[in-house]
Formats: sequence, structure tokens, C-alpha cells
Amino acid sequence: MRLLLKMSHALCAAALAALSMAAAAQNTSVGYVKTVTGDAWVSTAGQRVKAAPGTEVSIGSQIKTAPGASLGITFKDNTVMSFGPDTEMTVDAYLYAPAQGQLQLSTSLVKGSLNYVSGVIAKLKPDAVTVKTPSGIIGVRGTQFLAKVEGAQ
Amino acid sequence: MKVRTTLPLAIKRLVLTGLACSLLAACAGPQSYVALVPSPDGSLGKVVVKGQQGEQLLTRAQQGALLDGSKPPFDVSSEQLQRDFGAAMRARPAMPEQFLLYFETGGSELTAESKALLQRIVQSALARTAVDMSVIGHSDTQGAADANEALALQRATAVADQLRGLGLAATTMAIESHGERNLLISTPDETPEPRNRRVEITLR
Repeated sequence: MRLLLKMSHALCAAALAALSMAAAAQNTSVGYVKTVTGDAWVSTAGQRVKAAPGTEVSIGSQIKTAPGASLGITFKDNTVMSFGPDTEMTVDAYLYAPAQGQLQLSTSLVKGSLNYVSGVIAKLKPDAVTVKTPSGIIGVRGTQFLAKVEGAQ
Repeated sequence: MKVRTTLPLAIKRLVLTGLACSLLAACAGPQSYVALVPSPDGSLGKVVVKGQQGEQLLTRAQQGALLDGSKPPFDVSSEQLQRDFGAAMRARPAMPEQFLLYFETGGSELTAESKALLQRIVQSALARTAVDMSVIGHSDTQGAADANEALALQRATAVADQLRGLGLAATTMAIESHGERNLLISTPDETPEPRNRRVEITLR
């Protein structure tokens, strides 16, 4: 019985440690907001903040611009993304550890307009960069592109 | 008045159809689509779309494809791109800027030329809005790998301290060491190479 109790304590501790590690990983910033006009927001782990130059963007962050607003972000690997009005995008995955060969940048454009300039991740591992949209997935081979998603009719 | 009424019917029809087409084209461009444009450095890459209806590859500037992949690529006019993406393009942050600083052998003493570059880095950083920077230290392959890991971190830290002293005290800096793992000029082990003894600074 004692042993069981001890084991469950150990398990709890391990689970807690894993949880806090996951939280720490999620809150690590992967980029910063650099430009904003009008009203825009960055939501991370349930916390919504009004975007301003310097606002952190993390894995899981959702970016939203109001009608008439726009916003630009520069990521750690020099990927530059900017958004026009009434746009919604999330950062689904971001890995940038070139020395370990860990590279990934996945985002989802739910609606609105995007200007994308690819960075180091696309240069080192083109297959690791995608933009998901409701009707298709965009793959990037080192370039600048523009994408527009019209809202559901 | 007289002239207009005597226009042949066929021409009238043509004019009307043309007008309707151009009106339509102006109002309803492609709906959900992606367009390839040259990068800020002038180079042109590629974009591939995997949609529910097919796969398309874009290789030319101002070529577009529907996001569902249903149609072959088409040309998109500059006017159309402006209409659809003008705001997103104007919101694009300044492109990141990179600087390389070099060191005398074995320590964190900058070469004279690199020392002279510090002030320019500070000026460029201050000219940006909400700048954040990374300071990554590197070594050549002379000496043990773990010693080089420490040496490269010492170089990055030394440069960061100098930049803070020159006016960047409030700037967000990510300081890292890549040791001898990320050579600019690839060399065998135990090779002194001035171009590998460096700190890479990126302003974002």
C-alpha cells in the first residue's frame, strides 16, 4: 500500500513536471509583432492581448485583425508575415533549432489576406513550411507569396 | 445622337458585353487564391498548392492558383494584387538585417574593423520599431569542442555587453552559442580560420 502511494506520488510529480514543461514550451516566444494599424489581437493559451509593436507571438497563438486593420510579425528564423483586414491566423507549430536539424513552421490561415516572406526554415528544410487554408495547403520553396481566403458563404 | 442610333446592332452588343465583362472582372477577382511574387531580395522561389481538387505549382511572378487546386495557374494583374493584398503588403515589417563581427584568435577581442562596425549596428537597431536581436557566437575548430562552445558564448556575451553600453540597453537580445558546430567556412578539426571566429547579429 505504501509502495503504491509512493508510486502514485511519483507519477503525479512526473505528470506535473511534464505539464509545466509543456506550458513553458508553449509560452516561449517565436516571434514579435512589429507593425499594427487599427485593432488587432494576439491570443495565446486563452489570454487575449491587444497587439502592439513588441507583442510576443508563441506556438499556438491566434492572430486576428479587425475590419480595416493590419498587422506584421517577424519570426525568429526571419520569416516575415503580414496580414490585411479581417484576417485570422494561428501558429500551429514552430521549431527552430538548426544545429539539431529541428525545423518546422506550420500556420493556418482561416480567413483574410496574408503576405508571406519565407525565412531560414524554408531555406534549410522547404518541406517543413506549410500554410493550411480551409480548401488547400500551401507549400513554400523560398519566396514571397500572397494568399487570400474568402469567408464561408 | 444620329451617329449612335445608326451603329450596327452587332457592335452595340459587343460594346455592352465588353463593358459587362470588365465590370465583372473588376468586382470579382479570384476568390481564395495564392499568388507568387518575387522576394524582397529580388529572387523568385516556388509555391505549391495541394487542394481538395488538385495540385498546382507556381513558378512565375504574379502567377496565381486557386487554393482548392482546381484550375491551372493563371496570371494576376498588379491592380488585382493591390486590391486584394495592398493592406497586407503595406503592413510588412522591415526585412531582418544581418551583421558579422570577427575576433582575434583565442578570445573575445574584436578585430579593429569589427569594432568600428558596432556603432553602425546600434544606429540600424535604433532606426527600427520594436527591434529584437539575436547575438550568436561561433568559433573555429582549433581547440576542444566544449571549450569552443564556451568561447563562442563568451564572444556573444561580450558583444551584447558592448552594444548595451552603446545605447541598446533596453533592446531584447537572444544570446546563443553555436560553438564550432556552425562553421561559415568548412574546415577540418584543429584549423584556425579567422572567418569562423565570429558573432552573427540579426536585427529584426
